[in-house]
Amino acid sequence: MGIKRPHEAMEDQNSQAPQSPFMSMFESFRAELDEHHDRRERIIKASRDITAASKKIIFTLQRLRTINQPLPQHINKSNAQYYTIIKTAYASISKDVQNLNAYRYARQVSGGNQEYIEAASFEHYLTTASLLTYEEACAKVRALDSEGPGVDLGYEDYVLGIYDMTGELMRFAITAMATSGALPAPSSSENENDMEVDSAAQKRNILTDLRALRSALESLNTNGTGPFGKEADKKADVMRQSVEKVERALYGLTVRGAERPKGWMPDLSESRAVEVEG
Amino acid sequence: MAASALFGQGIFEDLQRKIDEDTAVKDAIREIVQTLEKQNRATQAVLSKAHSTPSAELPNVLTAARESINKEIASIQTLSKTASQYPYYKYSYSWTREMQGAVFGILLCGYLGGMDTAPGQLLTLEDVGRILDVPTNLKDRDAFHLTIEEYLQSLISLLDELARLARNSVTLGDYKRPMEIARFIKDVHAGFQILNLKNDSLRKRSDGVKYKVKEVEDVVYDLSLRGLLPKE
Repeated sequence: MGIKRPHEAMEDQNSQAPQSPFMSMFESFRAELDEHHDRRERIIKASRDITAASKKIIFTLQRLRTINQPLPQHINKSNAQYYTIIKTAYASISKDVQNLNAYRYARQVSGGNQEYIEAASFEHYLTTASLLTYEEACAKVRALDSEGPGVDLGYEDYVLGIYDMTGELMRFAITAMATSGALPAPSSSENENDMEVDSAAQKRNILTDLRALRSALESLNTNGTGPFGKEADKKADVMRQSVEKVERALYGLTVRGAERPKGWMPDLSESRAVEVEG
Repeated sequence: MAASALFGQGIFEDLQRKIDEDTAVKDAIREIVQTLEKQNRATQAVLSKAHSTPSAELPNVLTAARESINKEIASIQTLSKTASQYPYYKYSYSWTREMQGAVFGILLCGYLGGMDTAPGQLLTLEDVGRILDVPTNLKDRDAFHLTIEEYLQSLISLLDELARLARNSVTLGDYKRPMEIARFIKDVHAGFQILNLKNDSLRKRSDGVKYKVKEVEDVVYDLSLRGLLPKE
């Protein structure tokens, strides 16, 4: 109902009424609830800071064009400030999420955790061409608060972060294809020479990795119920679209070739094809 | 299948195992909570007779309610033992509603004088904890307990029910009880006013308390207008 506090006069009256016998009980409640709300606010703010800094790290990483290479100096340098922010944010709340309160604020801290895992696993993939494992992810989050008790990373946030990371792989793949005309693949000394060999289907590239991730994530049975299951289902849809976007872009490259003249317009009947530049 | 060094075989198997373990715990807890839910409904059904029972016959209703509440206490004991093996807040969402329902039943039965209480008495958070034999407002360790928020939610349910009872008391010819309820609701309302509630369900529901105050005041007003209030 849209009633907006028509009874303020009544409330004033109450403040002059004789002291309620329940006052001392409510006063103790107030102290407890205030403590809880303050903690909650702190965690929400830290989670937002972690999310914003992680997004910026991802942004910087998207300027890379190689997989399985150490990060160039300038990338490390520009991301250092964001890692500092993330460390500060985690350290500011690690004491708030211990023991009894470990899961109390799980919903508030989840956003930051997921975004950080997205950034960390994306960086891990770009530098090592492998998936950041849950154990490695836990250790990374733990290390962010090396002086304090650390924040526990639930497997839920890890899995949801990995789902999000597939979107970054898609963006990375599309950008690389648009600029270099080839699907990016992990570079390594042994297969660098036979890059152009036709047995491309057997070699790893970002699309085979995306498909492998997709099938592994899809075979996880999250039991659809509960907040985790629902969120995972939603992210699974987005992931499937990401894989498909890369597949369509690759189709475009394969059919039309990389030397398609600049400014060439696609046949309008091909409305379903997603352009590499898109 | 593409030969992949992207991840080792075990990663996703380990994750699946964690998910399955979680699901097993949730299922075990859900079974207890469902029992509690049925018992809650039974208690509520008994207590709702208070609206149509004259004071003289109320003790029978309260005895029956007490028996039903004892069954709930047994279920909550079972829940407490199971749930205390796991982090409290990991699964608390699955039982908090039924805990609130059980505590509401106890508060109402207590207000009516059926929990070894004097009629009109408010059982405190600690009182309810003693009745349920569970800790309240735990801070120093991670175990099953009754939270302040749950208690307050139940207290608001009690006020809603008492506002209804005030009107029905008049129908039953009891003109004294509405006055008692009016004082009680005002006193509790004064307590809620000093809380700094954020935008959550507690805030929304406690905003409605002032309308309950008014509802009961209207009943008292109607009685006084007609000279029906008993002289004190």
